[in-house]
Amino acid sequence: MSALFELTSLKGSRARTPEEKAARRKEAGRDNLAGYLFLLPWLVGLVVITIGPLIASLYLSFTDYSLIQAPEWTGLENYVRMLEDPRLHNALRVTFIYVVVGTPLQLVVALGIALLLNEGMKGLAFYRSIFYLPSLLGGSVAIALLWRQLFGTDGLVNQLLRLLGVDATIGWVSDPSYALWTIILLHVWTFGSPMVIFLAGLRQIPAMYYEAAAVDGATRWSRFIRITLPLLSPIIFFNLVLQVIGAFQSFTQAFVVSNGTGGPSDSTMFYTLYLYDRGFGNFEMGYAAAMAWLLVVIVGALTAVNFLLSRFWVFYDD
Amino acid sequence: MAVNRRQFLTAAGGLAAVAGSGGLAACGGSGSGGGGGNADGSAELAFAWWGNEVRNANTTAAIDAYTAANPNVTISPQPGEWASYWDKLATQTAGNTAPDIIQMDMAYISEYGTRGALLDLEEYGVDVSKFAEGTVDSGRIEGKLYGVNAGINTPTILANPELYEEAGVDMPDDTTWTWEEYGAIAEELSAKLGSGSFGSDSIFNDVLLSAYLRQQGKELFTPEGLGFAVEDVIPWFELMKSFVDSGALPDAARISEGATKPLDQGDFVVGNSAMAQYWSNQVEAVNKSSGKTMAILRYPSTTGQATDRQAWYKASMLWSASARTRHPEAAVALISWWVNSPESADANLAERGIPANLEIRERITPELSEDQQAVATFIADIEPELGTTPIAPPPGGGELGDIMQRYQLDMLFGRTAPADAANGFYTEATSNLKV
Repeated sequence: MSALFELTSLKGSRARTPEEKAARRKEAGRDNLAGYLFLLPWLVGLVVITIGPLIASLYLSFTDYSLIQAPEWTGLENYVRMLEDPRLHNALRVTFIYVVVGTPLQLVVALGIALLLNEGMKGLAFYRSIFYLPSLLGGSVAIALLWRQLFGTDGLVNQLLRLLGVDATIGWVSDPSYALWTIILLHVWTFGSPMVIFLAGLRQIPAMYYEAAAVDGATRWSRFIRITLPLLSPIIFFNLVLQVIGAFQSFTQAFVVSNGTGGPSDSTMFYTLYLYDRGFGNFEMGYAAAMAWLLVVIVGALTAVNFLLSRFWVFYDD
Repeated sequence: MAVNRRQFLTAAGGLAAVAGSGGLAACGGSGSGGGGGNADGSAELAFAWWGNEVRNANTTAAIDAYTAANPNVTISPQPGEWASYWDKLATQTAGNTAPDIIQMDMAYISEYGTRGALLDLEEYGVDVSKFAEGTVDSGRIEGKLYGVNAGINTPTILANPELYEEAGVDMPDDTTWTWEEYGAIAEELSAKLGSGSFGSDSIFNDVLLSAYLRQQGKELFTPEGLGFAVEDVIPWFELMKSFVDSGALPDAARISEGATKPLDQGDFVVGNSAMAQYWSNQVEAVNKSSGKTMAILRYPSTTGQATDRQAWYKASMLWSASARTRHPEAAVALISWWVNSPESADANLAERGIPANLEIRERITPELSEDQQAVATFIADIEPELGTTPIAPPPGGGELGDIMQRYQLDMLFGRTAPADAANGFYTEATSNLKV
């Protein structure tokens, strides 16, 4: 404690003589050194695990690289090929539908449940955990396998429909018209993490606003529209950005539900799944790297658009 | 509010940056490229295979037997699972740490072989002198032997005798049946078995397409690319459509679903269908999972004569060595021992398929299970029906079956006509090849 105090007082005092200046520089250097030492694990991680592969991937995206042979420079060939690859365009289409439909739905469900849980019911911690559970499980292989069973031709969903008198013989995961929707449903079901963030946000809206509104005779609906939504908008925005980025990168669910094929008929061929298929399935790592960079650009652009649009609807109460 | 604008922007920006970099995660390989080259003939070999519990135990026992007899060789085993095995092998090869001995598959051998990642085993004197005819060429690409047959496999049609009996249909004569007769029998079975059951799983996969093309004097692949024209596969797509329309095969959704099911949940194994196409080395697993003894039949022919059906022996898997191994002699010596020695045979039996070495096959046959003995008999019986050995799929050819299935489903779900589906398949299969 006292050493720290001396250090700060030394830094605070004005150094006048050259000796004092040198001593101060030395102190400062030692000070920085300690800082860098503490940063080291993160720095090493950043360079080795993030920046290194990032640069390598950028380089590889301009090459023909089979993994087995050394990469060969091909310039923009991979990027040109992306323009005329119908399966890539299909993968983009599938992924956009998934993001554009799945993310808002998921956020609406998350907000709805969060509002319910915020009513101050008994055993909140218990219900919160229960509702969070799908998020922990939803990305897992086991649940994706379960999904395949539930939505199979003879699966639970069809059996329930038959109990209701519907002649259900649809293969929900095996028919290209429905397969993507079952995966979107699985995605919506994993609403736990935005829900917890919404719940935290709801807790921070000062109760006095509601009290004042109640005194003025505002209905529940107008309290929701005029108080909750505006004050929650930064949180909604946060969740939106986060979930859009996450949705673009979903992989496990489609991989397991379709057995790695993106099938039936490429109807669940997500962008990342196609990228993986090109890279590891077909030894086209250069093309896969180029695809990864296109994804970076798309996600970056969408995030930028999100931020631009946020000016019009996000309200910061500070 | 607890979140102010600046904090929020920083957090969200950081997340976006992290998200962008998440595209590809490289996984590190733990393989060793072998120890130093030692003058005394000692060697350290890394040995990789994919498999199951039985195979892991057999392989470990065989490795122990080899190192006991050759104390100057140490072997570091790298067992794996099929799905992750190829990702790992590709990254190991890229990182120059490929295992010395590699259990290889026909679907990948030319990807690795033609790119110089595998050793020409003949150059280092691998011994295949006692192998059955047609079993060595599976591993030969452009004149070089990149893989040694680790067990013989051949396509079969399996039939469920109980369902035949239930339907009151006689077992077909598999030495004379044609593709059309196959469809008629399956249709009859479907009709007599009633709803929920059907005569046959889809047999319109790449394996039987190869058979079908060979019967017209074509091949799936030649070293130059596809060995057939689009006109050759239009009838194949039409035949499939007619089988589905007649009820011989299940509907599109069921076929689509069947393609993603693991073996033990397949419609044939659980008793929903009376016939299906399997490889001979799957017979034991099918029988075990279903609790029945399925009949092993020949696939149909165009002429109605089994001797015209252009059967072939495929390597169920192969033994390869890394081109970058520091101990090519030691690696090849181990492979020779593996496929020729009685000690290895006793440890491995026919778990990787019926041995290609005829003496070994004779030695282990009495010790095989009944299912495997039946397979050994079938493999010996069909020898007069063998055509030439198909070449390994060229780079990019391993996905042909997946591509075809996509276009078949498009057709079956009524999105395209058979001829258009065949055209789409042909175009994409061609452009997917890297030859």
